[in-house]
Amino acid sequence: MSEPVVEIADASFGYGGAPVLSGVSFEVRAGEAVALIGPNGAGKSTLLAGLLGLAQHEARVFRVPAARGEIGTLPQSSEIDPAFPVTLEQVVAMGRTPRLGLKWPGRADRRIVAEAIEAVGLTEHRGTRFGDLSGGQRQRALLARALAGEPRLLLLDEPFNGLDHGSRDALLETVRRLKAQGVALLITTHDLDLARAVCDRTLLVNGRQIAFDETGCVLTLERVEAAFASHVMEIDGHTLATTEHHAAAHGAHHHHVLQDDGAAGAEHR
Amino acid sequence: MTPTAALIDPFTPFSVPFMGRPLLLLVALAIAAGTVGVLVNLRRLEFSTDGLTHAVFPGLVVGATLGGAAGLMPGAIGAAVVAAVVLALISRRGQPRDTAVAIVLTSFFSLGVVLVSGSGGATGSLSDFFFGRLLTITWADLGLSLALIGVAVLLVVLTARPQLYAAFDPAGARRAGLPVLVLEVVGTVAVALVVVAASASVGTLLALAVVIVPTAAARALTRSLAAAAVVAIAFGAATGWLGLWAVVQLAVLGVDVAPGATVALTMIVGYLAALAIGHLRGTSTRHSAIASSAGAAS
Repeated sequence: MSEPVVEIADASFGYGGAPVLSGVSFEVRAGEAVALIGPNGAGKSTLLAGLLGLAQHEARVFRVPAARGEIGTLPQSSEIDPAFPVTLEQVVAMGRTPRLGLKWPGRADRRIVAEAIEAVGLTEHRGTRFGDLSGGQRQRALLARALAGEPRLLLLDEPFNGLDHGSRDALLETVRRLKAQGVALLITTHDLDLARAVCDRTLLVNGRQIAFDETGCVLTLERVEAAFASHVMEIDGHTLATTEHHAAAHGAHHHHVLQDDGAAGAEHR
Repeated sequence: MTPTAALIDPFTPFSVPFMGRPLLLLVALAIAAGTVGVLVNLRRLEFSTDGLTHAVFPGLVVGATLGGAAGLMPGAIGAAVVAAVVLALISRRGQPRDTAVAIVLTSFFSLGVVLVSGSGGATGSLSDFFFGRLLTITWADLGLSLALIGVAVLLVVLTARPQLYAAFDPAGARRAGLPVLVLEVVGTVAVALVVVAASASVGTLLALAVVIVPTAAARALTRSLAAAAVVAIAFGAATGWLGLWAVVQLAVLGVDVAPGATVALTMIVGYLAALAIGHLRGTSTRHSAIASSAGAAS
């Protein structure tokens, strides 16, 4: 079994004052993808910020890659101004900056950038202005930027949001390839199916840790319901209302409901 | 040379030192526009730069009061440092950046106007400070200005790649472990140095114009970042030269105009022309794209 790249035990994360997320113990091994799942406000972003040293933490064990460039991140591309005058290649080359500091890139750096662009399947668009790419291509370009830093750990924040099927499949394929190369990944997502598709283990949180285990064991309806109490979830076009939400909304009986607003008869358990 | 030929000769007017020195300064400021100005544009620091130019104003007045023309530059440097510290302190108190800039801008500017009006004209008129004394700069002034511009350009060129990352995606740069705050301070210092170098000789108004307008014009003309830097330098140098040349031609015709303001106005005219060219080019590109897609469809 490969070495853990991230090892966290009995940790709490916050920004001073009361912790946003507590009781967290998990690890991410090289070549493994871990899904980080929880409702909005559950503390997922705080956990990612904590791993990057941008939020405070208290922990019995706290091991994360510490050298510059060892942690790559994929933000939500909606945070970025599409009018900014840079090409895809220039954006991906930014990924070398943490490792290079003030040095200018050499031939080896340019090769790594080209490989990162190729890894996300955008070689033919390398000279295209970032703002002219589609939403999915921008997301892949930002992933290539993270790859150009040759990270040991990749933190992907809602990477599948707003992607069409083609981009989603391409991203899933890239995640599989990265795992094969030994990169450790921590992926926040609301999409349980995608978590099942590529994530070996899942960390379920809502202010505290609900569960951390193999994805199939964690994503049971009872546990998801415990994490998403009073929330409605979208799973592949179907709306899942948890017991508490359903009772509040309809004043009805306590049973699990799968409201099918897309194709009929599908179940996700 | 006939009088008519002399009138339209673009080079001879600049062979005399009092015209050559301002031209040299404007070319140096054009290089600053293509580097520091691009950073200002990408990081949307135009309002902060405006704040710094106004903040330098009372420093110029105090410098002129204490040391005459030789006191302008030290006064400007002192005011820029005080303004930068005040800006940082107000921002750290949790005020939004624009609020901090607005407070610094109005308070320093009011102080400058009070100082000028209180001196009864002993320190020079308001227009001297607004539009500078472009044609009367000395070799010593020029040397100091070039040194300040050189340091500013060097700061931006050395940190260009992390600056680009931090301007494109500040949150991402922070997550990647880049020292975003240090980069911000380095950028602000570079802007302040150019503002000081320009304010003492070409005035606070033109200082803002030479930093901001060439890059804005370049961005209208080209979509590439590297090309924008080159175009901004060429634009700044060309409009600076054209502005000075217009001053000479108007003087020959017996019209005595403020040189700093004339250069600023020339830059604005150039900017409007760039906007028009950019718009026409965009329209023709869209038309050819529509025509080619229609051709492909038929």
